[in-house]
Amino acid sequence: MNISITGCGQTKFGELWDSSPRSLARQAVFTAIADSGINKKSIQAIFVSNMLSGILGMQSHLGALFAEELGIQVPAFTIEGACASGGLAVHSAINSLLSQKYNTVLVLGVEKMTDHSSEFISSALMGAGSNEERLAGATFPALYALLARAHMEKYGTTESQLASVSVKNHFHASLNPLAQFSHPLTLDQVIRSSSVASPLKLLECSPISDGAAAIILQSSSSPKKDSVEIIASEVATDTLGLANRNSLTELQSTKKAAKNAFTSCGITPSDIDIAEVHDCFSIAEILAIEDIGFDKKGEVAKKMEQGKYRIDSDGLVINSSGGLKGCGHPIGATGVKQIIEIYNQLLGQCKDRQVKNAQLGLTHNVGGTGATAVIHILKKHD
Amino acid sequence: MISPIKIWRNQKKYAQQIGKMGTIISWSLINVPPEGFIDQSPYPIALIKLGDGTNTLAQIVDWETKHLRKNQPVIAVIRRTQEVTSDEVVAYGIKFKPCL
Repeated sequence: MNISITGCGQTKFGELWDSSPRSLARQAVFTAIADSGINKKSIQAIFVSNMLSGILGMQSHLGALFAEELGIQVPAFTIEGACASGGLAVHSAINSLLSQKYNTVLVLGVEKMTDHSSEFISSALMGAGSNEERLAGATFPALYALLARAHMEKYGTTESQLASVSVKNHFHASLNPLAQFSHPLTLDQVIRSSSVASPLKLLECSPISDGAAAIILQSSSSPKKDSVEIIASEVATDTLGLANRNSLTELQSTKKAAKNAFTSCGITPSDIDIAEVHDCFSIAEILAIEDIGFDKKGEVAKKMEQGKYRIDSDGLVINSSGGLKGCGHPIGATGVKQIIEIYNQLLGQCKDRQVKNAQLGLTHNVGGTGATAVIHILKKHD
Repeated sequence: MISPIKIWRNQKKYAQQIGKMGTIISWSLINVPPEGFIDQSPYPIALIKLGDGTNTLAQIVDWETKHLRKNQPVIAVIRRTQEVTSDEVVAYGIKFKPCL
């Protein structure tokens, strides 16, 4: 596709009470611009990823808002696809480059959530679900709990195996200075944490977070040495609500987007060294690893508990950033942060959590309970 | 606030659903509810297979722990859906209760 990532910037994720959306955006964007070495005047368009600003802050029209705030008065767009907003914004930015309308664009993901009560956030997030789900009083933890229970029943997946996802991701987060949580967790702590929506427990759920992430994308007919190229970008959709799915133990949108992504760049899941997948809940990471095609259905949870997918294990590493659970989940920023983590890993810039010799990486960003899925594949140019 | 017009529009749909029978496919007991449902917590939701082969997702009412299981038969009833303030229209909708 000849699309290069030439700069990245990310704020710390967490409860950032003294930071506004504007200050978070400035920090992420100016870090990305400095990282790329470009002049901000060369940015030709801005793609802003956000889900909740209109509901929580009564502020829509974020394209123009951040164009003004950043002093970059260019065409600007807001992209919304629930928790997949970040991945969709990257996809849209790539399409604008492929159309040759622009050759240098900025993607900014930003979300400010911790000013509000958890009940209000739960209610606002249900904007990503169906009307039937809202009227039932469903929450996203509860909808993923329905998937978890079905998976446990069909494949014998245990509570301990699910809990081991959070243990791995908090271990990774403890090595990431920008992560929301810096403390490791034990299996016992996860299993004994309070029930949010049975069988899912508090420490199996991604947190409410503030944060921003930004990347500069450029068209590049001849990628430079030690640069990172995006070689596949695919989106798929499924039914908005869970009720009309054929299966509760897989996300068709993930399978379709992943298949199309691998086909488009001519590689297979076994070629991938490192992946950031959408672990909004423990079961979501298990489903992601299976549905992308990294491992067989029904075998992932057992391998997870045995220590596979950790940065200190052999083979594929999953969620070295700490994932949504450990690093935090400021909705609009998440999909962009996933790209940044893979970019930094491929360039060997991750210090204590660096994965050795990673050449190919993948990101997987999901909206709702799989109504939208976005897959990107990134490659390092030696 | 739910628009009174939307509540009125949805009534036509609910009238056709009352009394439908189904069985639970998967369920979850919600302990951390969203805004509007705090006074009902904890409450279960379930994915339900109806007699006509379609699925629906709904809240379970009048339940005991023994009812929270796969294949539990349930029947559609009309209930108040969520909390309202004193100047709002009370919204009613479809919930399911165990019938065996």
